[in-house]
This record gives sequence, structure tokens and C-alpha cells, in this order.
Amino acid sequence: MPLTHRGREILSRVPGGSLQSTVGVGCEIVRHEELCVGCGTCAKNCPSGASERGDFFDVNQLLDAPDGSRRGELGAALRRLMQHEPDGPVEVPERVTVYRTIIYEDDKCLGCGTCARGCPADAIEARPPKADVAPAQPSAGVSAPSPQGVSA
Amino acid sequence: MGDDRTIVAFCCRECAYAAADASANARTPLPPTVRLVLMPCTGRVSPLHLLSALAEGADGVMVAGCLLGQCHYREGNFNAVDRVAFVQRLLKSVGVEPDRCRMFTMSAGEPPKFVAAVHEMDRVISGMPPLPRSGDGESRAPRHGAGAASGAAPAEELLGAARGAA
Repeated sequence: MPLTHRGREILSRVPGGSLQSTVGVGCEIVRHEELCVGCGTCAKNCPSGASERGDFFDVNQLLDAPDGSRRGELGAALRRLMQHEPDGPVEVPERVTVYRTIIYEDDKCLGCGTCARGCPADAIEARPPKADVAPAQPSAGVSAPSPQGVSA
Repeated sequence: MGDDRTIVAFCCRECAYAAADASANARTPLPPTVRLVLMPCTGRVSPLHLLSALAEGADGVMVAGCLLGQCHYREGNFNAVDRVAFVQRLLKSVGVEPDRCRMFTMSAGEPPKFVAAVHEMDRVISGMPPLPRSGDGESRAPRHGAGAASGAAPAEELLGAARGAA
């Protein structure tokens, strides 16, 4: 998905041009490539275009896939056949949809976590942002108001 | 031909298998190397079928389907063409001859085309050296230890049982 007008506006006002560089804003996205099945859900839903379906496929994603997974079965067959290590990524024909490496660009990532929420294979982890900012100190003479008679 | 090479042919029920049936009715001899697998449509063929067949002992694997644009299920053969191309690129990247996996198209009314396809595949595979496969049963686990090895993959069990019974 391309970046919306509001998204572009936000990014342009953030120092550093990326929400990842801003403390306390945006989740840290961790991709586990060995679990990725290449469905493209993250790429379809990403609001900033940080996640995109690539035209190439890294053959090691088959060879290193966990046992019992679909990619693992292909990897097992390929391991029996292979004569040498793969000599590079393979260009994927148009109609092959699930064997594609998802390209993830950290600079464009907003840290919204939509990819992690939609991933069917739990291959993306969105770690909550660390709050590095020190908690505000109460100034002299002013105490934080305690909740009184707050109705539910 | 002396050696017992094996070619697995995934045939679509509508055109390729019908052509094969017609050629059998006409008593056209086929090379003994070819084994037919009936599919409803070549669109059902997955890269897993093609790679597993080669890994489990087939020297060549061919996909036979309807002429492009004439698939009885509209676009299945286009998908098969792309999947066969993908498998060819995978094989090439790991050092296996990509021509071990090929796709042929024909019409149900063209049994000679099916026979010619099988003979062509047989000719090409016979011209290749035998394919060395990594040892049986050894190193089934993923290379870098990602995930525990849980035994034989389901595809291998099915094909292994079929071979044991043959």
C-alpha cells in the first residue's frame, strides 16, 4: 500500500525522517525469515510501503525452513537433489505467488505493527517501543491530582 | 535402452491423459521409462510434486497439459507453466540440469503429440548422466539446525510405500 497523505505528512515532520529513529514511537519490527511463507499479507497491508513482495526468491529460505512446514518439505527435497550451494536468488515467474522473498525496508517503516498483526505464520514480531524518556518530575507546590469521585 | 531411468508424467485429465489413452488404444508403444500420474488439471501440479518426484528417484519429470488458452479450467495450464519455470530455475541454481523438468501441451485429439513429448523427454533424460542424490535418510534436518527433525516428510512416506509395494 502506498503511503497516505497523512502518513507522508507525519514522516516529513519527524526528525530523522523515520519513526523508528524516534524514541518511544513505533514498534521495533523483527522478521523471522525462516518462518515466512511468502503469502504477502504484510506487503498488502503495509501503509508505508516498507514491506513489499519481491520479484526474487532466496533459495536458502527453502533449505533453512523448519521441518514439517510446506517450505520445509520442498527444502528437504531440494537438499537431496542439490549438487552445490545455491548460486544466487531465483527470479520468480509472475503466477508463482507464495515463493517470494518479502523485501522489508527499515527506513520506511512506521512501526505500526500491522504486518505483525496480520501475519498468519507469526513470522513478524512487533516489540513495543522502549520508553527511554525519563518520567516527568513533579514541580514544587504542585502535586499530582488524586482521582476523587471518578465515576465508572 | 538398457538403464531403468524413470520419468514421471503429470497429465491433465482433459487433454493429456485423453491423448495418452487414445495413443494406447491405437497401440502406440511408449518407452517403458514413463509413469503417468493423473491430475484433474495441470494447475493442480505444485512445485512440491515436481521436486519430490525428482528427489525420490525420478530421473525426469514432465507436465503434460492442454494447449495454452484451451485449459478446460480456464488458466490452470498457465499456472503450471510458471511453476515448471520456477522449478527449472531452482534446479539450475543448485546445479541440477533444468531440463529434467519440462512442460508439454497438446490437445486430446492429438495423441501423436503426447507420444512425441514422451519420446523427446526420454531422449533428453537418457542423454544425461544419472543424478547423484544425497544419501538416503541422511541429513534430513534443516542445515543450520533450525527446528527439530521430526522424521520423514509425508510425501516421502507415500512414495516410499508405493515403491515398496511395486
